[in-house]
Amino acid sequence: MDLIDRYLAAVRRNLPAAKADDIVAELRDDLMTRQEDREESLGRPLSKDETSALLKDFGHPLTVASRYRKHQYLIGPETFPFYLATMRVVLLIVGAVVIVVSIAKALLGGVDAIQAVAQTLSGLWSAVFVNVAIVTAVFAILERKGFPYAHLAKWRPDELPALSQKQPGPWESAFEVAASIGFLLWWTGVIVIPYTAQAPEFRLEPDPIWGPLFWPVLVLAAARLVHNVILWLRPRWTMLRHAIGAATAVGGVALLLIIYQAGHWVTVVATGMPAAEALQLDASLNLALKIAMIVTGVVWTLGCMGALWQMVRASRERA
Amino acid sequence: MPIEEDLFEKLRIELRRGSLVLAVLGALREERYGYTLRQSLEDAGLPIEEGALYPLLRRLEAQGLLTSEWREEAKRNKRFYRLSEDGVGVLAQLLGEWNAISESILRLTERTA
Repeated sequence: MDLIDRYLAAVRRNLPAAKADDIVAELRDDLMTRQEDREESLGRPLSKDETSALLKDFGHPLTVASRYRKHQYLIGPETFPFYLATMRVVLLIVGAVVIVVSIAKALLGGVDAIQAVAQTLSGLWSAVFVNVAIVTAVFAILERKGFPYAHLAKWRPDELPALSQKQPGPWESAFEVAASIGFLLWWTGVIVIPYTAQAPEFRLEPDPIWGPLFWPVLVLAAARLVHNVILWLRPRWTMLRHAIGAATAVGGVALLLIIYQAGHWVTVVATGMPAAEALQLDASLNLALKIAMIVTGVVWTLGCMGALWQMVRASRERA
Repeated sequence: MPIEEDLFEKLRIELRRGSLVLAVLGALREERYGYTLRQSLEDAGLPIEEGALYPLLRRLEAQGLLTSEWREEAKRNKRFYRLSEDGVGVLAQLLGEWNAISESILRLTERTA
């Protein structure tokens, strides 16, 4: 009797409180009837070991109690494929962002290679851990509050990517998205890359031209991020993708033209080096930026023309 | 081979699990309480896993297929279950489905040689 009571108390601890009394009463009756049946067939009371075996047969208290719960799993079989697909995309982006930022820090921030690898691995581990937990928690809540099956059932076969449509691989897409996210994080100051760490004798200061361009650059980079995400995850949204592609290409070229016209973009401030040397470095750096802008301008103009052409072609196909 | 036996056991349990609701509904055309219900299932060759029967009964009751009441019998309070009116209808439909499946399987597995 004592063992049965202890067993039922263990079951009760894991039952929904509102139904616990009723469930325990029913289980008690079943166990008592079993015990009596055995005792009758043996012609003697059950020993402690025999009662223990009877309870073991009935099942672990946690297992028995869990069967009375509405949800017996964290994420059900219908939700699981969407959970897995989301997890894959999130982890690819997170992994790529950590790697991109670490490479940028290693190249520009004066962090040595071993230190960079160690930081990347540690960053990767905590980022993966946190994101797995967040995605799992979101899906577990959706599973309980109602997963939007009705919305997902509305998918259209004609939205699946065409076989002829060239799609970049998942890592390529993830790195493109990660590069955009990395840039946005840097531009907004969320992550700081100490690009002067290896040069204690001077520091770089952005020229006033960049101040008014903060928002235009931010919007352009965010639009580019949306474009890359669509290209990866919703390749059949061609009109929207081409429209954003063309708009960002035109915007990019226009912005580049405004920036180019400033003629001077960063200033080298001497903090130890001779002023003449600083001036020379300033001139070389700005010349390099000028050349980079010309090359970028040509590439972007071609890209802009290509994006506009694709948009025209897509709208013709649709018509 | 132990792996094959394992696999067979898994498939067998899966197959039986699907038919358990039908067996429980069928057995509860007569009023029974949990212990006697499990015995009758066992006698009929369909033993149910210990501890799994009562949650199943509660689920079927919540779905409106069973009714239950607490009553004293043999000096102890017991919860008796029986098929509800809705349960009778659903059982008939499920039996029809069961027979159709059985016939289909027989047709598919019949040896023509």
